[in-house]
Amino acid sequence: MTSAVRTIRSRAGTIRKTLARSSWPYTGEGLIWLLLICVAVIEVAPIMWMFSTSLRNPADSFELPPDFLPTAWRWDNYLAVIRSKKIDFPLFFWNSLKIAVIVTGSQILTCSLAAFAFARLRFPGRDALFFLFLASMMVPAQVTTVPVFILIRSLHLMDTHWALILPGLSGAFGVFLLRQFFMTLPGELIDSAKIDGAGFFRIFWRIMLPLVGPGLAALGVFTFLGSWNNFYGPLLFLRSWDKLTFPLAVVTLQGYMGMGNRAHVLAGIMMSIFPTLAFFLAAQRFVIQGIALTGLKA
Amino acid sequence: MAETTVDRVKRAMPAARPLAGGLRRAWIQEMISGYLFALPAVSVLAVFLILPILASLALVFMDYDLLTPARWLGFDNITRLFADKRMMTTYWNSFRITIGATALNNILGLLLAMAVNRKMPRVLRYLLRTALFFPVLTTTASLAIVWQFILTQDRGIMNHLLQQIGLAPIPWLSSVRWSLRSVILYDVWKSCGYLMVLYLAGLQGIPEVLYEAAKIDGASRWQLSRYVTLPLITPTAFFAIVISLIGAFQIFDNAFVLTEGGPGDASRTIAMYIYEMAFKRYEMGYACAVSLTLLIILVTLTLLQIWAGRKWVHYE
Repeated sequence: MTSAVRTIRSRAGTIRKTLARSSWPYTGEGLIWLLLICVAVIEVAPIMWMFSTSLRNPADSFELPPDFLPTAWRWDNYLAVIRSKKIDFPLFFWNSLKIAVIVTGSQILTCSLAAFAFARLRFPGRDALFFLFLASMMVPAQVTTVPVFILIRSLHLMDTHWALILPGLSGAFGVFLLRQFFMTLPGELIDSAKIDGAGFFRIFWRIMLPLVGPGLAALGVFTFLGSWNNFYGPLLFLRSWDKLTFPLAVVTLQGYMGMGNRAHVLAGIMMSIFPTLAFFLAAQRFVIQGIALTGLKA
Repeated sequence: MAETTVDRVKRAMPAARPLAGGLRRAWIQEMISGYLFALPAVSVLAVFLILPILASLALVFMDYDLLTPARWLGFDNITRLFADKRMMTTYWNSFRITIGATALNNILGLLLAMAVNRKMPRVLRYLLRTALFFPVLTTTASLAIVWQFILTQDRGIMNHLLQQIGLAPIPWLSSVRWSLRSVILYDVWKSCGYLMVLYLAGLQGIPEVLYEAAKIDGASRWQLSRYVTLPLITPTAFFAIVISLIGAFQIFDNAFVLTEGGPGDASRTIAMYIYEMAFKRYEMGYACAVSLTLLIILVTLTLLQIWAGRKWVHYE
């Protein structure tokens, strides 16, 4: 009965809306699409230009007006960068990848353990500890830089990848993000597992962790991105040429040959985008969901 | 959080807890598990965050250049802060970047989210969302090089396009007037997609029923946005603004590569100034003093926002 009334009322609403429709909603709609398309073009244009210029004859890379679509397919620019004698790109790629994979794996493990404890276990001081994690997200990197630098130096870890791996083994953001995921799971799951005599680690590992798969994927992408794109850390800790990570190498490379060979610099930057892009496309849905959950009330 | 049976019993008869041996054992087991689970994350936090902050508090009173042993200075580093004109300049720059980038990123992010969040073919929505989010995936430092190529004054792409539509070329990176704006522009290009996804999630969390109800009452499209969408997006907006502010105040890579802080100090951020003090001049104690002012400012700003948020954030 009520649903019928509702249908009729909503029909009436639709009719009223149709009657009230003037040319203005179409103008508004048009403006919105214009904004959307303009911004999308502005966001993509620099990347398109980079991509197409990286495939151009190096001599043509300064050409104006700029072409945003490829005019040539010189894949050998990429080969030239990879095989360059002066700059060992495959090595930098490997360095970045190694650090990012270790940090990502470790964060997924340590953050999910802590997040499960904060979301689902009861122990004295839990909320105070979690508050500490939340508050630490406000602390700017610059505050900890100097003491961490001194610490790394006194441990004789300067110019090693450990200097980047150790501080990245866990992170407050990851704990916060995964806690949001654990909170969405029904508590009855734990209760029934407990009745079946499962220990907490077993509950965590066998029951809860598989259910927060999307959260782990999102955290994985975020952490990988953060580590892969990290510039400040390597700038502080890495000195020797063979230890450099990709972003630092690209910026250095630009200094070496930027004005001479733009196409090669751009090919180098393009290559640095491929892994993150692949990662993102594989886990896009989870990344979006992850961003969504961090925006909800804690 | 759902109450477990154990919790319910514990709450109902706290005095009986010592008697109920099984429950007590379960409770202790849960407690120990909790600490063990949190231990790895807590120890990383302790070593690389809490310990450093405490060390910073001590270093503020010292003169330390990494080579010679630290020397006790007393309050010299703190009094020095008050006369530091360059710190004030870089703070002012960071402040302007923060205001500009936070405002533009959030307004654009919300507008884009509202624009994408409408009926359209699935493929189109996917393409638009990916295109708008793409810059977020790229490396800030590397893409700054691309933006250098775009914004250079001579033979730069931006100026070429400006000239095509009859405008005068702009010294984007080399003038005091424009370099800071270029840093903001680059940041908005780089991160408005992230804000869009955040707002999009907020928009999709608004129950469809509310729109239906408002439509039945004859609300216009403008009224729907103003009286349904806007109040219900405020919790998302609050979170988005808080994290944008914290992030923008720490901008380093963008300006470090794009303008190198120049010309002069025109686009040098406070993060770059701290870096310079610590790792170019090796004045570790003073760098700590400056970084602690940044911490105090960020904490105050966040607390102020939480306080102000009570007035404008609409929780159901």
